[in-house]
Amino acid sequence: MQTATVESEKSRKRSGNLRRRQLVDRIATVAIFGAVILAIVPLVLILADIVIKAAPVMSFGFLTNLPKASPFSPDQGISNAIIGSFVMVGFASLIAIPIGVGAGIFLSEWAEMRFAWVASFTNDVLAEFPSIVIGIFVFVIIVLATHSFSGYAGGFALAVIMIPIVARTTEESLKLVPNSYREASMALGVSRWRTITRIVLSTGRGGLVTGVLLAVARVMGETAPLLLTALGSTLAFRTLSQPTESLSLLIYFYGTSAYKTWQAQAWGAALVLVVIVLALNISVRALTRGKFITGGD
Amino acid sequence: MKLAEMEQTDKGANFENRGAVRPFQTQPKLETRNLKAFFGKTEAIKGISLAIPDRKITAIIGPSGCGKSTFLRCLNRMHELVQRAHTEGEVNLDGANIYGPGVDAVAVRRKIGMVFQKPNPFPTMSIYDNVAAGLKLNGVRNRKRLDEAVERSLKLAFLWEETKDRLKEPGSGLSGGQQQRLCIARALAVEPEVILMDEPCSALDPNATSRIEQMMVELENEYTIVIVTHNMQQAARVADYTAFFYLGQMIEYEETDKLFENPKMELTERYITGKFG
Amino acid sequence: MDMGLEKLTNLVLEMASLSEKSVSTSIEAYSTGKNLSAEIKTWSDELGKMQDEVADLSIELLARYQPVASDLRFIQSSLEISYGFFRFGRYAYDIAEVLEMFGNLSDCDHSEVDITAKTTKEMIRMSIDAFAKRDVELAKNIGKLDDFVDEKYREHISKTLKDPSIGLKCALSATLVLRYLERISDHSAYIGDSVLYIVSGERNPMK
Repeated sequence: MQTATVESEKSRKRSGNLRRRQLVDRIATVAIFGAVILAIVPLVLILADIVIKAAPVMSFGFLTNLPKASPFSPDQGISNAIIGSFVMVGFASLIAIPIGVGAGIFLSEWAEMRFAWVASFTNDVLAEFPSIVIGIFVFVIIVLATHSFSGYAGGFALAVIMIPIVARTTEESLKLVPNSYREASMALGVSRWRTITRIVLSTGRGGLVTGVLLAVARVMGETAPLLLTALGSTLAFRTLSQPTESLSLLIYFYGTSAYKTWQAQAWGAALVLVVIVLALNISVRALTRGKFITGGD
Repeated sequence: MKLAEMEQTDKGANFENRGAVRPFQTQPKLETRNLKAFFGKTEAIKGISLAIPDRKITAIIGPSGCGKSTFLRCLNRMHELVQRAHTEGEVNLDGANIYGPGVDAVAVRRKIGMVFQKPNPFPTMSIYDNVAAGLKLNGVRNRKRLDEAVERSLKLAFLWEETKDRLKEPGSGLSGGQQQRLCIARALAVEPEVILMDEPCSALDPNATSRIEQMMVELENEYTIVIVTHNMQQAARVADYTAFFYLGQMIEYEETDKLFENPKMELTERYITGKFG
Repeated sequence: MDMGLEKLTNLVLEMASLSEKSVSTSIEAYSTGKNLSAEIKTWSDELGKMQDEVADLSIELLARYQPVASDLRFIQSSLEISYGFFRFGRYAYDIAEVLEMFGNLSDCDHSEVDITAKTTKEMIRMSIDAFAKRDVELAKNIGKLDDFVDEKYREHISKTLKDPSIGLKCALSATLVLRYLERISDHSAYIGDSVLYIVSGERNPMK
């Protein structure tokens, strides 16, 4: 009799615990969903705001026409900014991808070297550097030296920002390549360098492409370093050796101007920029969803 | 008798300054002399001298951590790829020390191939490219030569019939046993003289295991094979000679049937009858 | 595995004692003229069944555990040894049958058979002890006694051939019994060899 009472007491206690645990569980779930919604809401609001405000100026001509000196002229456009952005980012990529990938290979494949640790730390610091500081740096060593703001200087500043990002993602994605593939290749009598270029890079290439795309997306929106280097321009893009316009610069100048028409155009440019960055991010998603590293462990 | 005592008597009994242990009469293909392997300061292989016969299967058995895999990796200079690892002593391939001055480790590995525990076909490559990888990465471009090498290797690995119609498909689409045979074909394609196998069947089911064992016996006519295995029955089935390693030392090395029927050393006896520890 | 080996040992030892009993009973029957052949037949058949059991168990152990080294040698030797004990039973029955075939043998001289039988029984005892204790020295000594039995058998034949006064019945029956004793001795020596093989892994080169 007595034992039975003790038993039922125990089970009651146990079910009490269970109920409390279930309650805590439910509260936590609700809290987490709430947090997610709070995080998404600003993004949705911003996007909606941009789309609404950009809508009046959006047209094919807006993308293909040049800016006009007067804010009241008809048929204004941002074509020079779109082209300038792409060309400068392209130029930056030409510099940053080989250097970044090379550095990433070094950080991943020679990780046992003491210097690799130093390089890795330096790379992390550089990745966290305020971009305006990089702008000033490039302003001093290129703009002042050449006595000219230029697209080259802008592209160079963007490259400096890109390098640590590319290096870090390259390192991470190559480290994900199982060591067994390196060993298999080495055991076939393949040299270390060929093993890296032909086996390791090819196995980790998905991660590599992702890193590059993320870096591109990141510098597409950079403004501060370009203010000190590319300066901006209202003329059609001709060469990188002259001051060059970019979407971010155009948004900055038009957005801070006194004219309603230019402000509206700033919104239009913002939409274009957001669409480009979103497209890059979505392609990264599409890439990473696929199995770019297989058979790993 | 305690294990420690046994080690004492066993060691004293047989292996004092006798040079490389060689339970056969012919010229050895590979011969280690006082081979030592280190991880940092830890000595994993404590001076092993043994001779491996040409075109025979030699098995190395022993409990986990006895150094058998490390020993195997010393035989084609893979050990030194591990961080802070190094070797001492000699490994002679047809009488020439592969650790000698000026010897290129990459060239050594072309002569002494290796198959690993887990099947590891290159994930981004087709079946064909996997087999041809060793040749392609070493600069062979001749299509005809590649085709021939791929067919020959796949046939040797008993994989040709199963894959000849889908050579362009990824190697990772094959079953575990097929993948391992693909890896063996890949190793064979560079035409090595010696093939080292590091527990090649431990990730495979009995059926796949028996196919690989069958293949090894076929390959024996052309290649010298050294296999590390923790499956004693496997050693008993395929190997002509078997060495028993314990704590980085070689305890006994004999013709396989002798070792399994009548081991000389108490330690060997206890290990193979499962009375260890 | 260890349990199986223990069971195998016990089974072989059981056969050992039954076969020893059969042999000594049959010799006793021969010497005293008692007809015990029915009893010995039962034991002999029993030994046959037990030998099958040993074989079954051995095969099972081989198939299940793929034993090696001393375990493998023990199982192989158990097969050989159990066959030896089975033979003991058969020869014991053969000896008992001699009495049945020839009828009353109380007039014959049993001295040679008695002496030889004593040695043969000694050899059986030794082979059983050697097996039970894994005693290599004891096992080696069995072979020496075997020479004595062989010698006795040969002696008897030549004596019988030279001396026609012994009488056909006595001569033939004693020859048969001595022949069976000689066979038993041989098998004892084989058991000794098997014990040697279990312990040292060496085969007797003299066999």
